[in-house]
Amino acid sequence: MRELLRHLFLPRETNNYRARVLHHKILLLFTIFFFSAGVLMSIVRTNFPSVLGTFSNISDQQLLDITNSDRQTAGLPPLDLNGDLTQAAVNKANDMFSKDYWAHVSPTGETPWVFIKDAGYNYVYAGENLARGYTTPQSVVAAWMASPEHRANMLSPHYKDVGFAVETGKLNGEDTVLVVEMFGSTNFATENVATKQIQQPAQVAVASSSPTTVQGTNGSSSGTLADQKTNSAPSSNLASGLPANQKTLVNGLTFSSASARVIISLFIFVLIMDMIIIERKKIVRFVGHNLDHVIFFSILFIAILILGGGAIL
Amino acid sequence: MVEKFKKHIGYYIVLFLIFGLGLLVTLMASPNSKLQIFTISLTIILYVLWGIFHHFINHELTNKIMIEYILIGSLGLSILFFIMEGGGL
Repeated sequence: MRELLRHLFLPRETNNYRARVLHHKILLLFTIFFFSAGVLMSIVRTNFPSVLGTFSNISDQQLLDITNSDRQTAGLPPLDLNGDLTQAAVNKANDMFSKDYWAHVSPTGETPWVFIKDAGYNYVYAGENLARGYTTPQSVVAAWMASPEHRANMLSPHYKDVGFAVETGKLNGEDTVLVVEMFGSTNFATENVATKQIQQPAQVAVASSSPTTVQGTNGSSSGTLADQKTNSAPSSNLASGLPANQKTLVNGLTFSSASARVIISLFIFVLIMDMIIIERKKIVRFVGHNLDHVIFFSILFIAILILGGGAIL
Repeated sequence: MVEKFKKHIGYYIVLFLIFGLGLLVTLMASPNSKLQIFTISLTIILYVLWGIFHHFINHELTNKIMIEYILIGSLGLSILFFIMEGGGL
């Protein structure tokens, strides 16, 4: 067994002083294997969604706990989980999937405030944070906290309530986990009501990144909000056909990405060992530069880490 | 290894430019995974061409070396395809 491993991964006489896995035939086999595995995973993903799919380990309660923990650290009172805001967040997430967009304002012009109002929450202040592609609540909140605009929303003293939606579906043709966080307050903040100016949250630029604070009068929304009701029917194109957040047996992206990184690491190791041993033994070979391949695989490793990573809005 | 690197420093600067740009565009393309995959694929193809060109310029290019770069590039593309299909990207 040990001899076989040496034969496969280290340059020696038995493999003509080139690790066996670096021989052309084996490289070709790996290539065919990964192409075949990709096709197989695609088939499984389509035909057996309960086996392979996309899911997250994010729950509303976890998001609330982490958010409140950050607020308490900042000396702010905790937010209460609000049913209406949660419904607004769910409707917004489903609207994003059904109309296939990734933005604060829908292609048909619905702002977040429309969803909040339609859910029955008569806000004075309201805000929205969006995230996609994250698989843990810590990573979502950390990403929001790292962004000044989203952080301002999370640590705003104006908000009293919050609602979350974590939905899985297809966006721009790819399976993704969407997290919508809706903030709100039905009362004016007591400390500086007199000095507050009305802001226009319904504009795209404002809604997309600023703290998106709304101030109306007596619970009514500012005049720029559309009055029409949005019909936010549940999404019909959820990727796996499973209810949101229901776990499949294997998370496709996590599995494929982790497997790929293991194989790439193996090749980096083998190439470095090959380089060191051959250089020590002063053996002359006519092969490509191992150093080139080591750099290539290292960059590929980083690119895979970036690929399919989370994004916030 | 260090000597080889110093000897070919010009080529490696070009390689790092290719990879640096590739990673930068991949980062900027987020969350558009399709554009990211396209960028990474293009970077892989450029790497293969760079490798072949590098050996050709230095009069070291043989069929075996050319096939090696093509196979390494193909392996990278197949891994990318595996992630794309497996992850539903």
